[in-house]
Amino acid sequence: MLRVDGLEVAYGDLQVVWGVSFEVPEESIVTILGPNGAGKTTTLLALMGLLPVVAGSVTFDGSSLIDVPTHQIVEHGLVMIPEERATFSAMSVEENLELGAYTPRARQSREETLAEVLELFPRLGERMRQRAGTLSGGERQMLAIGKALMAKPLLLILDEPSLGLAPIIVEHTFEAIEQIRGRGVSVLMVEQHVEMALQIADHAYVLEMGSIVAEGSSSEMSDNPRVQEAYLSL
Amino acid sequence: MTQLVLQSVVSGLLVGGMYGLVALGLALAFGVLKVLNVAHGELLMVGGYAAFFAFTVWGLDPFVSLPLVFIVMFGFGTVLYLIVFRYVTRTEIHTRIKNSLLISFGLVLVLQALAVRFFTADERTISTAYSSEAITIGLVRVPVVRLAGLIVAVVAAVLLEWLLNRTRFGRAVRATSEDWTRAALTGIDVNRVYLIAFALSAALAGVAGSLISLGYSVSPNIGLGWTLKALIVVVLAGLGSMRGIIVAGLFLGLTESLAAVWLGGEYREVAALVLFLVVLSFRPQGLFGRAYA
Repeated sequence: MLRVDGLEVAYGDLQVVWGVSFEVPEESIVTILGPNGAGKTTTLLALMGLLPVVAGSVTFDGSSLIDVPTHQIVEHGLVMIPEERATFSAMSVEENLELGAYTPRARQSREETLAEVLELFPRLGERMRQRAGTLSGGERQMLAIGKALMAKPLLLILDEPSLGLAPIIVEHTFEAIEQIRGRGVSVLMVEQHVEMALQIADHAYVLEMGSIVAEGSSSEMSDNPRVQEAYLSL
Repeated sequence: MTQLVLQSVVSGLLVGGMYGLVALGLALAFGVLKVLNVAHGELLMVGGYAAFFAFTVWGLDPFVSLPLVFIVMFGFGTVLYLIVFRYVTRTEIHTRIKNSLLISFGLVLVLQALAVRFFTADERTISTAYSSEAITIGLVRVPVVRLAGLIVAVVAAVLLEWLLNRTRFGRAVRATSEDWTRAALTGIDVNRVYLIAFALSAALAGVAGSLISLGYSVSPNIGLGWTLKALIVVVLAGLGSMRGIIVAGLFLGLTESLAAVWLGGEYREVAALVLFLVVLSFRPQGLFGRAYA
């Protein structure tokens, strides 16, 4: 579904991603693991057209995403939830969800999608009129995911969904991600919460210093001595 | 004395409405694109000339030509965005203010020079049959053209708030002004939002210019004076509320007018700047602004 080949990304003269290749098959959860500063977020931002790609290719459902503006990438069905929850704090929960279905494709089925989102996160239904900026961290996370689902993603991209959340909320978030995959949406996520990420992912890549240094199925990666030593503290 | 004070309250409010109207467009461009367009007053000047020549050449009443000036200035704003400001909004958010200041100061000089060249340096005012009419309420005279200006300012603010808060496009504009990256990731065409917001800002400047050429006067160098007032109003009001901008405009007009009566005409501008400094020191987010970024 998503295929990234030899991706190189730079901020001006400073190159941070060096020939990264990976793949997200249909209806799967793929995770990219790695330490801070490895280039994980940079890779995701480049996929979404928010950073210029120096070299390499990104194809989604057979069509290239290079030089496609971000809003059209979203229209194609790649929806990303950036770090720090992508909600608009000055707007109500309802407005955030409505805004989620901004693209023409998503707007057609807005009503049904909203019902699905509220079924997945009933708490949001109770908070419709509240300003997003006043929600708790967990509720903001639900809203961020709910808003992304309103865009009718074919591939949902999450950047550190567990960041800054209490353990119980992290667990709920991962459960929600599994449910979303159950509805036929593929998931690509960057995580530092390696143990939990490997529990739900089908396939994992390890990114260090801008290059993929290991990859395999989640069970292979859990047994990989390098991963165990660096990330699982076993 | 009472009559003088009452009369200055009224004139202060009337001119304050204009300050508010000029500030609406400036606040829109600043809030959404994060560019500070100091040539906003020059856009107003161009709009003022458009209304003036529509009146003198085609005999169009300024209230009839108001929608035309709006459309023409919307187009002018579009062109200006595409050839100039598009390159500013490509830069990172924190460098946009200084880049836009430099570029728009250049634009001030260009537009002023062109206006002198084509329209001469003469001061122009539209004088219609009703220009000198006034409503007398008790001791106070209210000139109808200035009153109409205030009404247009309020209507413009209400319509703009409606657009921003009640429409899909308005929601996209607010999302973009909060965080353009998140807006893009939501599927919003951020460049299109920028283009339309800037064009709308220019169109509002044009409307203000029309009313100013009717109730006050236009000449090639009026721009910076109005820009300065509008800047003060935006700082007073803070971003986030269009009605707040009009209220802050009225407040500024009133302060200036009363300072002129009580302290003498030379204190008019001083009072405005003191007010500006006081609000900036004690309430930097503005009287109606939102404290969070």
